[in-house]
Amino acid sequence: MKTRYLRYSLLTVILGLVIYQALGYGSRSFEAFCPFGGMESLWGLFREGQFTCALGPLNLSMLVGVLILALIAKKAFCGWACPIGFLSELLGKFGGIVWNKRPVINPKVNGWLKLLRYVVLVLVLYFTYNIGDLIFRGFDPFYVIFSGFGHETLGWITWLTMAVLIIGSFFIPMFFCRYLCPMGATFDPVSRIGLIKIVRNEKLCTECGGCLEACPYDIDPQQMIKVRHRDCTNCFECVDACPEDGTLEIKATL
Amino acid sequence: MRIPKYIIPLLVIGLLYGGYVMRFAFLKPTTEFSFNAEGSAKLECIVEGLKCKGTANFFTKLYEGRQGIASIVTFASEHQAVFTYNPEVISPEKIREIMEADIPLRDGTKRQVFRCVNME
Repeated sequence: MKTRYLRYSLLTVILGLVIYQALGYGSRSFEAFCPFGGMESLWGLFREGQFTCALGPLNLSMLVGVLILALIAKKAFCGWACPIGFLSELLGKFGGIVWNKRPVINPKVNGWLKLLRYVVLVLVLYFTYNIGDLIFRGFDPFYVIFSGFGHETLGWITWLTMAVLIIGSFFIPMFFCRYLCPMGATFDPVSRIGLIKIVRNEKLCTECGGCLEACPYDIDPQQMIKVRHRDCTNCFECVDACPEDGTLEIKATL
Repeated sequence: MRIPKYIIPLLVIGLLYGGYVMRFAFLKPTTEFSFNAEGSAKLECIVEGLKCKGTANFFTKLYEGRQGIASIVTFASEHQAVFTYNPEVISPEKIREIMEADIPLRDGTKRQVFRCVNME
């Protein structure tokens, strides 16, 4: 069975749970489940011993859980649990139907653009810690989508942001995750040392390029023995795409 | 060591569930106010409308100057408020009545902002 079916099933269940919470059926707000909220709450907890704005203990415990997950399985949270990553991936797939061959970004430009997520991380944390409020809600696709453009969104600015993210995802798979997600930036250092990773058997590899084409982040496993890349979400699209049995394997290795 | 593919979803589910269960280890309030009153009785309320620090501050202001309330601790993400009060001066029913009263808003209208869903 293709791993994608298993992955999409889990992502659909998680997306359904978030929608259930967002519709007000759960005991708490959908925002309470966002691990990045844990990052945003750290300074308030350190300084005043209190949570910022609508953040709470669940945000922080989710962050801890997801960081442990990153230590074991790299960015598996992004590929297997994040509803925004899922929606972004679906948009990219939709774009792929329209584009016969999806546009390829120059690897150098791609690399530079990826640094934007660190800028976003620093800006979000700096202003949230200083102002003590979640002032970036209007730019946060998780909040905007699941609150239905709710409280504290910024009118046309939020609409424009969402339009850029949707159009971007249509052209470049995982556009938000690659270039703008502050949660992804938080995981980066931990993800590099994540224990479970894809390992390539050089002797069996025919360098057909199937793995590179399948990777939503344009990582090229053919250039590596162990895929330590910070963007790898262990989605196993490359493993499923590989025509040579046993060339790409999932291993627990340093 | 080779790992089967299904380990990843199991790890994801396990650690997300672990994160959910562990939330009690990080229990800290959103706001904490003490008033000039003594009291030892506790009242825990689940309050609809208590969503963030702003609404928690607004909620707490409703009890400023009220006799018998010693402190209010709020947990916005849990929609919870914990009162410490003097039962000889104020009753749980009166505390509920205050939070559920119509409140004058900036636009000049009056509206019920908070509703007590559960009281213990």
